[in-house]
Amino acid sequence: MTAARTFAEVRRRLAADPVAVFAAFADARLVGRWLKPSPEIALTLLRFDFREGGGYRFAYRLPQGRTVIVAGTYRSIVRPSQIVFSWIIEPPDEHAGIESEVTVTIAPAGDGAELVIRHEKLGRADAIERHAGGWQGALDQLAAILAKGG
Amino acid sequence: MYSQMAMEYLDRTFRALADGTRRSMIHALARERSRTAGELGRRFRSAQPTISRHLKVLELAGLVERTIEGRVHRFRLRPGALREAARWIARHQAFWQGAVDELDRLLSEVSSR
Repeated sequence: MTAARTFAEVRRRLAADPVAVFAAFADARLVGRWLKPSPEIALTLLRFDFREGGGYRFAYRLPQGRTVIVAGTYRSIVRPSQIVFSWIIEPPDEHAGIESEVTVTIAPAGDGAELVIRHEKLGRADAIERHAGGWQGALDQLAAILAKGG
Repeated sequence: MYSQMAMEYLDRTFRALADGTRRSMIHALARERSRTAGELGRRFRSAQPTISRHLKVLELAGLVERTIEGRVHRFRLRPGALREAARWIARHQAFWQGAVDELDRLLSEVSSR
């Protein structure tokens, strides 16, 4: 068995313009109607604050009666072409607590739009490395200021 | 119940898999029963400390196991951790596949009105 891929990705050509596709992600009434893997699953928006830094919290009620809750933060929004948000499943769930990231890209294609949804597991380990990078930058600046002052 | 430890394991697995050299090492180990650190170093034309570092990351992620025979460190693939990672990916792949079908349906409803 091999594992060359460390992400999930879906591409779809849609017969709607990019603005309409973007609205499906941005408008609470529309989101509630489709952002679920099947019609048998009921989606309730517990929180929906579609702006950079805003968060969402979705409850998925499965046909067997179990509910899965997913929450995250909108990290970047570029109307009408890109949305990046974090994705964390809440406990109890076998994949609870793993912070992953979803990037939605919407591009014009013919009369419609091409939608790409890429779901990557970045993990806390990577977040720690990113933060470490940030610290490094701050320390470099501090060193530069100190060098000037001295 | 899924333990905190298992979750951290999965985190580490993905981090380990995020590197191209480490994925190639997994491919190499998948074809053979086991490889020594030296064999892997020659194969990837990398300095031994670099190879050791990659192997350590793979080992911590539970992707490979190490046996020490005298001075020789031998590595073997552990498919369990890979299966866990594959399961996470498959779950989200199925989620978005289904969601995009739902979106397609919704958009055609909206535009036909």
